[in-house]
Amino acid sequence: MSAPILVCEGLSRSFGGVKAVAGVSLALPAGQVTALVGPNGAGKTTVFNLITGNLRADAGSAMLRGRSIMGLAPHKVARMGVARSFQDLRLFTHMSVRDNIRTATETSAWFWQPGGATARRAREAATEEALARTGLLELAEARAIDLAYAERKFLSMARILAARAEIWLLDEPASGLDLASRLRFGALLKEARRQGVAICLIEHNLDVVTELADRIAFLDQGQVLAEGEPEAILKDPKLAAIYFGDRGEAA
Amino acid sequence: MIAYLTNLAALAAIFGILAATLNVAVGYAGIFSVAHAVFFGLGAYAGAQIALVLVPDALVAMLVAGLVSGVLSLCLALPALRVRGEYFVAASLGLQMMATTLFSEWKTVTGGIGGLTGIPRPHIFGVEVGTLPLALAALGLILLATAALMRGAFGRTLRSIRDAESAAEALGKNVAAAKALAVAFACAGAGVAGALFALHMQFVNVESFNLDQSVLIMAMVIIGGTGTLLGPLVGAVILLSLPAGLAFLPFIPATEVGAVQQMVYGLAMTLLMIFRPAGLVGDLSRGKSTA
Ligand SMILES: Nc1ncnc2c1ncn2[C@@H]1O[C@H](COP(=O)(O)OP(=O)(O)OP(=O)(O)O)[C@@H](O)[C@H]1O
Ligand SMILES: [Mg+2]
Repeated sequence: MSAPILVCEGLSRSFGGVKAVAGVSLALPAGQVTALVGPNGAGKTTVFNLITGNLRADAGSAMLRGRSIMGLAPHKVARMGVARSFQDLRLFTHMSVRDNIRTATETSAWFWQPGGATARRAREAATEEALARTGLLELAEARAIDLAYAERKFLSMARILAARAEIWLLDEPASGLDLASRLRFGALLKEARRQGVAICLIEHNLDVVTELADRIAFLDQGQVLAEGEPEAILKDPKLAAIYFGDRGEAA
Repeated sequence: MIAYLTNLAALAAIFGILAATLNVAVGYAGIFSVAHAVFFGLGAYAGAQIALVLVPDALVAMLVAGLVSGVLSLCLALPALRVRGEYFVAASLGLQMMATTLFSEWKTVTGGIGGLTGIPRPHIFGVEVGTLPLALAALGLILLATAALMRGAFGRTLRSIRDAESAAEALGKNVAAAKALAVAFACAGAGVAGALFALHMQFVNVESFNLDQSVLIMAMVIIGGTGTLLGPLVGAVILLSLPAGLAFLPFIPATEVGAVQQMVYGLAMTLLMIFRPAGLVGDLSRGKSTA
């Protein structure tokens, strides 16, 4: 196993009295899919928000290739190579599919993008590649708001592809997909893994997890209860009881 | 009659600039400012003072006015843009109220309530020029610049922020910087319009730069169509011609034109938001609620 690109240690965050995340440690190696699994409200999305700078951590650290990214603004974390998706997608609804992706390749807030014509051609190539890989070429001129559910999810993935990040934090990207779309999504993820992207995947469907994950971190009430190979985690009856809401029996 | 139409056309071009630049903030970046008249006023006073004290050169006046308004808008926008959407409206409202007071009280610069009079006719390199061609040229240039910026990466960045700010951030966009740039661009344009206005009227006072004016400019943008290039222009022409048009209707007594005009504006805005929420030129599906 290669050395992890992103290492989090002891991440914690409370809201009022609720300890949403309480001392989470997580390591994401290149070319591996780490599934973040746990019941609703376990703190999965909050872990992402702490890594990306959308929320400030009360305690803990997050190191990207040895450099701390704690306290950095979200756009800075993104520029260091961390891409994320949102549970509620947050597409640029009134822009075309192609513009949604194109804007993901344009990070400068200035009137012009740096790098001149060469860089522009590279951005266009990245845009077209993301369109092709997500199967959205024929819908390129449609507006995001007019897309069907599955296509919206693929557009959210296409933005991430085009951003050329080395770390992907995906918040339930496969939820609600039919079988065919799920297979397409799986292929996309496997290709990224082959290319060395470090992927963290929040996913409720355990079939998807079994198929795609190299490791699982099981989160409950803000804590990682177990971490390891999928078979070991999924076979654990205590975790299954928590996951399927049988907390009374498990205790 | 010619003089009347020339005057109306020059004013339409000036308000066209105001509406087109406010649209960059409102329509593209989703920043709702009800203080555009403040930067119109700053530009007008700056331009007027240049013409009165220094040289009556229109290019110098417009350049300085654009700079003054653009730079001051940055100072004010940087803290204010940290607040979210609806709070920014309130912040800009506060700014508009402070500015109106400042414009009426800072007599050495603004001439107070009485305003600045005797502003010389505009020249370019010593030759006197009419304000209509000047205003049309400025409008054309600003529209071209706006079109180029909004079709490019910057326009996409602004629209991405308008549609989903946190997603834009997650893609590496410095949202605060992009918003500040959009505001500075819009306010610099308002400053240029202000200088043109001062040179055109040869007189300016605070009445032209109050909240009513900011609301009128906002109405032009909304009625014409936010986020479109030509919508704000259409809105500006319609709202400027409205009082003139009403004045020609024989059954409205001259003293009531003002009141009737307010009623027509209000009714038009309300009906428009119900039947064409994206404005006259806007994309029909925008603004409809989506599940
Ligand atoms: N910004 C916030 N303000 C207050 N409470 C929050 C905030 N974000 C999360 N929480 C709380 O933190 C806890 C963990 O929420 P989180 O969204 O991280 O769960 P999750 O594991 O992603 O759940 P789900 O599977 O439903 O998406 C919940 O109790 C939630 O209500
Ligand atoms: Mg969640």
